[in-house]
Amino acid sequence: MLVLAACGSTADQQTAEAGAGGVKTDKGVTDTTITLGVMGDNTGVFKNLGAGLNAGNQLWADDVNAAGGICGRQIELEIVDHGYKADTAKTLYPQLEPKVLGMVQLLGSPVLAALKQNLIDDQVLAAPASWSSEVLNNPSIMMIGTTYDLEIVNGLAYLQQQGLLADGDTIGHIYIDGEYGGNGLKGSQYYAEQHGLTVREAKITSTDNDLTGIVTGLRGEGIKVLVLTTTPGQSASALAANQALGLNVPVLGNNPTFDPALLDSPAAGALGNLYVAASSPPFSSKTPKAVEVATEYKQKYPSAPINAGVHTGYVEGMVWQAVLEKACESGDLSRAGVATALTTLTSVKTDDLVTELDYSSPGSPPTRGVYIAKVDPAAEGGLTEVAPLFTAPEAAGYKAPYQQ
Amino acid sequence: MSDTLVKPTSPPAGAPPARRRNRLAIAGGAVLLLVLVLLPVLIGNEVAYLKVAQYILIGAVGGIGLTLLVGQAGQLSLAHPFFLLVGAVSYAVISGEAEAGLVGLGLPPVVGLVGAVLISGLFGLAFAPVAGRLRGIYLGVASLSLVFLGLWLGQSLESLTGGTSSGRTPPNFELLGFVFANSQPAPTILGIAIQKQQRLWYLFLVLAVVAYLLARGAVRSRIGRAWRAVRDNEAAATAMGVNVTRVKAGAFVVSSAYAGLAGVMTALWLDLVKPDENEFTGNYSLTVAIAFLAIVIIGGLGSVPGAVFGAIVVYGLQQFFLLGANEFGWFADAQFGGLTAVVLSAFVYGAAVVLVVLFEPGGAAAIGRRLLARRTNTTDSRTDTAVPAASGGRERSPERNDDDPRA
Repeated sequence: MLVLAACGSTADQQTAEAGAGGVKTDKGVTDTTITLGVMGDNTGVFKNLGAGLNAGNQLWADDVNAAGGICGRQIELEIVDHGYKADTAKTLYPQLEPKVLGMVQLLGSPVLAALKQNLIDDQVLAAPASWSSEVLNNPSIMMIGTTYDLEIVNGLAYLQQQGLLADGDTIGHIYIDGEYGGNGLKGSQYYAEQHGLTVREAKITSTDNDLTGIVTGLRGEGIKVLVLTTTPGQSASALAANQALGLNVPVLGNNPTFDPALLDSPAAGALGNLYVAASSPPFSSKTPKAVEVATEYKQKYPSAPINAGVHTGYVEGMVWQAVLEKACESGDLSRAGVATALTTLTSVKTDDLVTELDYSSPGSPPTRGVYIAKVDPAAEGGLTEVAPLFTAPEAAGYKAPYQQ
Repeated sequence: MSDTLVKPTSPPAGAPPARRRNRLAIAGGAVLLLVLVLLPVLIGNEVAYLKVAQYILIGAVGGIGLTLLVGQAGQLSLAHPFFLLVGAVSYAVISGEAEAGLVGLGLPPVVGLVGAVLISGLFGLAFAPVAGRLRGIYLGVASLSLVFLGLWLGQSLESLTGGTSSGRTPPNFELLGFVFANSQPAPTILGIAIQKQQRLWYLFLVLAVVAYLLARGAVRSRIGRAWRAVRDNEAAATAMGVNVTRVKAGAFVVSSAYAGLAGVMTALWLDLVKPDENEFTGNYSLTVAIAFLAIVIIGGLGSVPGAVFGAIVVYGLQQFFLLGANEFGWFADAQFGGLTAVVLSAFVYGAAVVLVVLFEPGGAAAIGRRLLARRTNTTDSRTDTAVPAASGGRERSPERNDDDPRA
C-alpha cells in the first residue's frame, strides 16, 4: 500500500530533467553538486551524539569530494539543528526539503514520527539516526545497520555463548516507554521464547533517574542477566545498584545506553559489567576503516567529544554513496531514481563498519549483525570490542514487526 | 446588573472622537485581516514561514483560553497541555478510522473538531470542583497534576492515543467535501497554488478569528464582568447575585475548550497525535504549560489581543530564528555548542518575561494601550487605567488587563 503511494507522488508530477552526463535529476542535484540534508541535534538532549554524527557525515563528504565526488558531482551537506523537538523539525522541513535530494541523517524518533508523512509525500529518502524496526513500514526510511530488537537478540546470544546465561534462566529488562524501549523489549521477548527464559519487565520513563528500587526488585526475582534499553544516566544508576546490592550480574545494553561521559561520573567504578551491542563499531575498534575514520576525526576536530556517533555518521554517508552510485549507473539521480536504486541493493559493503546490508526486502532490517563491546576506561571512547561483527543464529530467525 | 459595578465612566469628549477611533480601529482590523488572508501569497513558496504562522495561531488560540482563565477569572492553571492532549486525541478517535488496534469512529472531521472541543470542555468541567475550592498557587499545583495524569493516560490508553512509540495519524480535515490536503490540480490565488499548508492556514485563521471574537465578546459582556467580579472579590460578587461556583466552573470549561481546539490544531499541524515520552519534553509537557503561561504574561494578564502578541513572541520567535539561521547562515560556526538560534530565542523570551514582570506588569497590552491613548487622545486621564477597582474590592492591580471596555 504505502510503497505504491510513495511511487505515485513527486516524480510523476515533476518532469525530471536530463543533466550532465545524461543523468536524470530533479531536486537537490545540479550538474556539479548533489546536496544532502542533515537534520541533527546540536542543542537538545542528544547534542553530544549529534555533534559526533554531524562530524561523521562531514568527514565522509570531505573524503568523497577529495576522491572526485559521485557521478561527477561534489557532495554538499545542508545541516539544520532541530534540538530533538518534533515541532521545530516540522517547521524546518519545508525549508530544507526543496534544497536536498535526500537526508543523510535524520535524528530522533519523535522527529521521525512527525515527518513520516512528509517523507512519503515528497519521496525523500532518509537515513535515520534512530534504530527502531517499528519505522520500517515507511518506504522512505533507509535503515543503516541493525535495529534495537536485534541488538538485544544478538547480545543475549553472545552472553549465552560465553556461559553467562543458560536456558530457563530469569532475566530482567528495564526499558523506557516509547519507540526505543518498546523495540528493545521485543528482542528479549523473542530470545526468551527461543530459550525458555522468563523476562521480568520494568517500564520507566526517560526522566526517571534512580533505578535502585527496580534493580532491588529484580534481584528478588533472581535474575541472571539485566538488560537495559535506557538513557546513559539511567544505565549508570542501574549499574551502580547492580554493584551496590551485590547482585553483580552481567548487564546488556543497546547502543544508546552508554556515553563515554559516564566514566567521569560517580558510577564509573560500577560500569565494568556493561556489555553494549551496537551495529557500528566502538570508537576504539581495531577494524581498519574504523581506525582510519577515528584518526581523521581527531585530526580535524581535536577538542571535540569522542563517541560512537562519528562512525555511525560516516557509515550513513557510505550507504548513501552506494545508493547514489547505483542510481548514477542507471542514469537517474531523481528522487524516484534513488528510491528505486535502493531496493536493488542486496549487498552494500562498508569496510565492516556495519555488516553487509540488504535493502531488497522493505520492512525487514537490512542487516542483523552487531559489534559487542565492553566498558573499558582505558579505551578511547570508553568501550573496547570483545567480539568482532557477530550475527547470532537466533537473529536470523527473528521476524521484525513489518517484515513480510 | 453588575454593569454599574465595573463599567467605567464613558469617554469624556462625547461621541465624535470615539466614533473616529472606532472607524480607525475597524479600518486597521480590516487591513490586518487582508494581510493575513493574503499571507500565503506574500510568503509564496517559502512554506516554512507559513508553518510558523500556523504555529503562532495554535499558541494564540491556547493563549486566549488561558488568559481568560488566569487574567479574567483569576484562576491559575498549569493544566493547559493536558487539555491540548485531550483535544488532539479526541479528534483522532472521533474522526480517525479503526485500524490495527486503534479505536476510531470514522465520523466526519467537522464532528471530530466540534466533539474534541466539547470533550475538552467536559474534562474541564470534571476538574471544576477542584478549581472551585482552591485559589492561587494551590490551584496551580493541583492543576499541574493533570499534566502527569495526561502523561500516564497517554501511555496506557494505547488504543486511543496510538502509544508513545509511533502515535497515530489524525485524519485530514474535511469540510463539505473539500479536503485540507494536497490535490492535483490545486486551486490558485494570484498564481500561488493553494495546497495542504495554505489550506491549513485558512482553516487555522478562521478558527483563530472565531476564537478571538468569542473571547472579546465574552470579556465585554455579562460573562466577563462576572469573571472579573469573582476574581476581585468573591463576597462582593455573591452579594451582586453572581453564582461564584458556577462562574468559576464556567471559566474553566471555556478555557479547557479553547485548549482542546488548540490541541486539534496541533494534531493537524504535526500530522501526528503522539503522547509524550516524558513530562518535560514534547507537545503536551510541562514545557508547554510554562510556554502558555509566558504567552499570557508577556501579552498581559487578561488581554485577548495580548495573548495573540504573546503567542508571536513565544511560539513564533524560536522557529523564526531557526529558519533565519539556516537561510542567512547566522550562527553557522556553532557546531559544538555555543550560541545557536535555539539558545538565543530562549534568552529572548526569558528576558521578555523578566522585563515585563519588572517594568510593565500589564504586559504588551498595557504598553499598547498607552501608545494608543497617547496617539488618539492626549487629554484622556485614564491612560493606563484598565478598569477602576470594584468598590470594596482589591486595589487596582497594574498587571490586570480587562480588555478596556472603551474600545
